Amino acid sequence: MTDWTIASLSAAIREGKVSAVEATTQCLERARRLDGRLRAFITLDAEGALSEARALDAEAAAGRWRGPLHGVPLAYKDLCHIRGLPTSCGTKTAEYFSSERDCTAVRRLRRAGAVTLGKLNMTELALGPFGDNAHHGHAQNPWGPGHATGGSSSGSGVAVAAGLALGALGSDTGGSIRLPAACCAIAGLKPTYGRVSRAGVMPLSWSNDHIGPMARTVRDVALMLGVIAGRDPLDATSSHRPVAEYMAGLDQGIAGLRVAVPENFFFQGLDAEMEGAVRRALRVLEELGARVVEIRVPDPEIMNDVCNIIARCESAAVHARLVRERPEEIQPVVRARLELGFRISAHDYLQALRLRSRLTRTFIREVFADVDALVAPVIPEPAPLLAHVTAGAVDEIAERQGRFSRLTRPFNGLGLPAFALPCGFSRAGLPLAFQVVARPFDEATVLRAGSAYERAAGWHERRPELP
Amino acid sequence: MAESKGQQATLARLASVIERAAGDLSLAEEPARFIAALEDEADPEGAG
Repeated sequence: MTDWTIASLSAAIREGKVSAVEATTQCLERARRLDGRLRAFITLDAEGALSEARALDAEAAAGRWRGPLHGVPLAYKDLCHIRGLPTSCGTKTAEYFSSERDCTAVRRLRRAGAVTLGKLNMTELALGPFGDNAHHGHAQNPWGPGHATGGSSSGSGVAVAAGLALGALGSDTGGSIRLPAACCAIAGLKPTYGRVSRAGVMPLSWSNDHIGPMARTVRDVALMLGVIAGRDPLDATSSHRPVAEYMAGLDQGIAGLRVAVPENFFFQGLDAEMEGAVRRALRVLEELGARVVEIRVPDPEIMNDVCNIIARCESAAVHARLVRERPEEIQPVVRARLELGFRISAHDYLQALRLRSRLTRTFIREVFADVDALVAPVIPEPAPLLAHVTAGAVDEIAERQGRFSRLTRPFNGLGLPAFALPCGFSRAGLPLAFQVVARPFDEATVLRAGSAYERAAGWHERRPELP
Repeated sequence: MAESKGQQATLARLASVIERAAGDLSLAEEPARFIAALEDEADPEGAG
C-alpha cells in the first residue's frame, strides 16, 4: 500500500490489477495497526468505506467508471461536513459543525470515485500550527516521534505520509495545509482564494480560508485539484474562472521559467539546514532551466498583521457562542486567540480588509511583473519537539505559534496559490521543505515547477520507518 | 476574559499597524477590491 500513489492505484484499479475493496482494506488495516500511535484519524469509517468500495467495484465490473479517482481511498480533515459522519472540528464536541449540504470538495471527490476512509485529526478549531490536540490526542509525526506534525491539518499530513490514505483534504487559513505538508514531507497546495469552494467546511476566517489537496506526489495533488476546483454556487466567493488542465503541464519542464527568491523577510532567522535545503532546491530549478533572480518583495510583515486582525475578528465572530457558553471546553491557547478577536475594534477590522486589497494588488504587480514564480521556505526550522513548543505560558506559546507560521501566512492574505513540497531531510532525519508561489489562479505553474523539481530530486520516494 | 500582558501588547501593536498603514487609503479602497485584484492580476494568458 505504501508504494501506491493516487495515479498509480487509479491506473491499477482500471486495469483490474487491484480492486477498490482490496485498496480500501489495506488502508484500513494499516490505519488500525498504526493509528493508535499516530493519531491521524478522529473518525475511521471502516464500514462506510468498504460499502463504498464494494459499490465502486460493482460499477467497474459493469463497465461504469465514475472518474479519475475510482476506488481510491482518501480521508478528510474533520471540518468537512459529510452526511452520516460527525464533524468535531477538533473540539470536544463530536458534532460541533453541521451544514445543510455535504462539503462541496468532498462531494466532487466522491463523484470522481474516491472512497471516504474517515475524518482526520486537526488542531482544535483549526487554530494552531503545531498539530497538538488535547481532545483527540496529539497527531504524531511519522518522521520523528515527539516532533510536531504541523497544523492545523495535522491528521491530513500524517495520514498521507504514513500511507494510511492516498490523499487528503486540508484547510489553510494561515498555513494549515503547507505547515503539515512541510513537517511530514508530502506535497500540499493552498490554491488561489476562490479556486476551491469552501461550502460545507467549518469557517475559521472566511476571508483567509482555503481548501486544498495534500498527497505524496505533485501529480496526485494536481489530480485532486482538477476534481475539486471550480465555481460552486454554494460559495459566493468561488471564482467563475475556468479550471485549467493541471495534469497537462506537469511534464512540460521549466526551461525559461522565471523564478524569484526574496532577499528580504523569508530567509531572516531561518535555520541553517532549512536555508541550505531551499537554496539547493533553487539550484536544482536552475539546472532544470529556470532563470533564478533575487528580488526585494513588499514587506510581508504588514500583511501578516493585517491577516491576524482579520482572522482574529472573524474567528471570534464565528465561534462566539462556544467561547461564551462553554469556554472551559476550549484549550487555553485556542481560547486566548479567539478572545483576542473580541477586543479588536470594528474600525481596525475594516481598515485591515481595505488594506489587504491594496497590499495584494501591490504585491502581485511588484513581484510578478517580471517573474513567473516566487520560491520561499515554508517553516523556519525542521519540525520542533511538540512538548517544547507547547510548554509554558499561553503568551509564550502564542508567540511561538506566530513565528512558526510567519512564512506561510502572508500568502493567505494575498490569496495567491502556494505549493509546499519536500526538499530534503535534516541531519536528525526531519523533513525540509519549500513553497512555490505564483500569480492568482496560476496553480498550473506551481504544479509544473513542483513536478519538474520532484522528478529531479526524488524526495517523494522516501518513506518514514514505521512497523 | 481578562487580558494578559501578551494580549495587551498584541492588541496595541496591531492597532498601531492599522493607524500607520491605513492612514492614506483612498476613499475608493474597499474590501471587495481584494477579489477584483485576484481576478484582474491573474495570468493574462489564462493559465488558470
